[in-house]
Amino acid sequence: MRSILSYIQHMARPEWLKKFFFAKTAPLVTPPHFRDFPHLTDKECTHCFQCMMICPAPGAIEVIRTEKPGEWKPVIYPGHCIRCGLCVEICPELVLDAGRVHTKNAQDGTYMQFQFHITVNPVTCMGCGSCTVACPVNKEIDPQLAAKGTSTSDEVIMRVYKGINTVFHEDKCTGCKTCEEQCPTRSILVARVLEPLQTVEE
Amino acid sequence: MEDKIRHVICPYCGCLCDDILIEMTGGEISGVENACTLGARKFLDDAGNRLKGPIMRKGDEWVDISYEEAIDYAVKVLSEADRPLLYGWSGCMTETQAIGAHLAELIGGIVDSTTSVCHGPSILAIQEVGHPGCTLGQVKNRADTIIYWGSNTIEAHPRHLSRYTNYADAYFFHNAFRERKVIVVDVRKTVTAEIATEFVQIDQGGDYHVLSALRAIIRERGGVIPDMVAGVPKAQLIRVAEICRQAKFGALFFGVGITMTGGKYKNIRNAIEFISELNRYTKWTISPMRGHSNVYGSNEVFTWISGYPFAVDYSRGIAFYNPGETTAVDILARKEADAALIMSSDPGAHFPRVCSEHLARIPTILFDPYPSATTHLCTLQIPTAVNGIDAAGTAYRMDGIPIMTRRFMETVYPTDTKLMQEIYDRIRKVKEDA
Repeated sequence: MRSILSYIQHMARPEWLKKFFFAKTAPLVTPPHFRDFPHLTDKECTHCFQCMMICPAPGAIEVIRTEKPGEWKPVIYPGHCIRCGLCVEICPELVLDAGRVHTKNAQDGTYMQFQFHITVNPVTCMGCGSCTVACPVNKEIDPQLAAKGTSTSDEVIMRVYKGINTVFHEDKCTGCKTCEEQCPTRSILVARVLEPLQTVEE
Repeated sequence: MEDKIRHVICPYCGCLCDDILIEMTGGEISGVENACTLGARKFLDDAGNRLKGPIMRKGDEWVDISYEEAIDYAVKVLSEADRPLLYGWSGCMTETQAIGAHLAELIGGIVDSTTSVCHGPSILAIQEVGHPGCTLGQVKNRADTIIYWGSNTIEAHPRHLSRYTNYADAYFFHNAFRERKVIVVDVRKTVTAEIATEFVQIDQGGDYHVLSALRAIIRERGGVIPDMVAGVPKAQLIRVAEICRQAKFGALFFGVGITMTGGKYKNIRNAIEFISELNRYTKWTISPMRGHSNVYGSNEVFTWISGYPFAVDYSRGIAFYNPGETTAVDILARKEADAALIMSSDPGAHFPRVCSEHLARIPTILFDPYPSATTHLCTLQIPTAVNGIDAAGTAYRMDGIPIMTRRFMETVYPTDTKLMQEIYDRIRKVKEDA
């Protein structure tokens, strides 16, 4: 009983109550380094899909056709977006903006560079050519390859050589992964290698 | 010095791809372009693997003999035999097959091709109800729905999808494979099923039931079929039937998975009739996935010479055809044959044990450039030039298109056509003299 009384006495100190109910903390301010949700600038989107490619959060960004013919725009879904700002950084046309991302990039000379590595498992590859013929980049470079699986150009990303799919021009890969989706034996893998780089000051 | 030879025909499977590029360095094959793994290995593994010359079994040993001695032996064995079996013919060219069929008539033997153990039932079904087929070019340019039934195409005919059916650009489509649908029907999830729009897994031997159910749905009698047909839910069957009916041009390809299961040729008959039901609504075709490079050719040749596509028995002096009786497996299992000539095929690897045992007992002459499982059963093996590498001739693609294979290498080996012609001429002389 005595302990309860002393507890109430202790809790009811005026200075404590004052502190508890009228506490003053600093107001919430977005810090300058903070990357907010990306928003659209009025620059034209070329639907290169690099923002979709780089986005680490599933379902956070989509590049879709608008009602205006020939016009594309990225759409951000805030519920999925983690505000990492990678889409803003990668966009070559500066369609997106968020916080100080562009200013900071220009200041520090930072930029992103990415490439794709294609690996073929020579043990499981059947040389069926499905990936080579399905590849949209190959289709543009070598119409013969697209039409009947007969390669006539050395400029293609890959083609079947000695019975195994062989990669010749990895640098032309745009990372669409059509080959990966179409490989029946799951022998081809496309991996993205992303490098954040900085221009060296003279 | 590297030499590039274009437009070589791959003599491996029934696809007979005619766009192979061979790289030759110092008279040897050093590279192969466009061919799949199976075809490329056929070219690349050729050097160093062939027999040097004919070999004859003497007791427990192999003795090297000359081509003259080998032909002498073959002439003696075949002309003296009462019921010789001339089997194989799927890896050789049409010209050789023609001599084979004439030789069978001359010696009163049986001529049978590997058809009797692969697509024989397909031919029986085609004889019953016809063959609504087309060339692969039609499928490539027109088909928007492709069914592979009992055929693991990616592993057996790897380039079929990329060159003739699904992936290749089509004249009548804008987006090639993105506008096509592939349905795979098989008893297990094969690698081909991995890329299928719809995979129908059926119970072993359930082909006839599933085909009948699909026919019923197409005929709008779907009410009679139960909830599950040979392991396939009714809802999926209705979905598949709808895809088939909606197709503008469909092509069904079937493999040995349906011909060599219970029901045999009745399955194929049902499949052909399913296609004919579909043709009430839209355009559909059906074609067998022929295995060896020129197995289709053997059927063509035997048909134009004897009237029958395989298993032709000349023991009565006229052509007699009764699959189940005059087919190679049955002749060997009944121990009827007293001599055998095996032309460029490997029954030792595929025939039932009793048949292999009988082949080992009788004088067996094998024409094959490479040692094979049949080498262990035969009495005499004669290596010949490889068709499509150092011998040329006509071969029939799986859709019945004759293609002239190319000879692109110098050789010391005689062709099987030349050897068979010599054997035929010599036996003819023996018969005329007698």
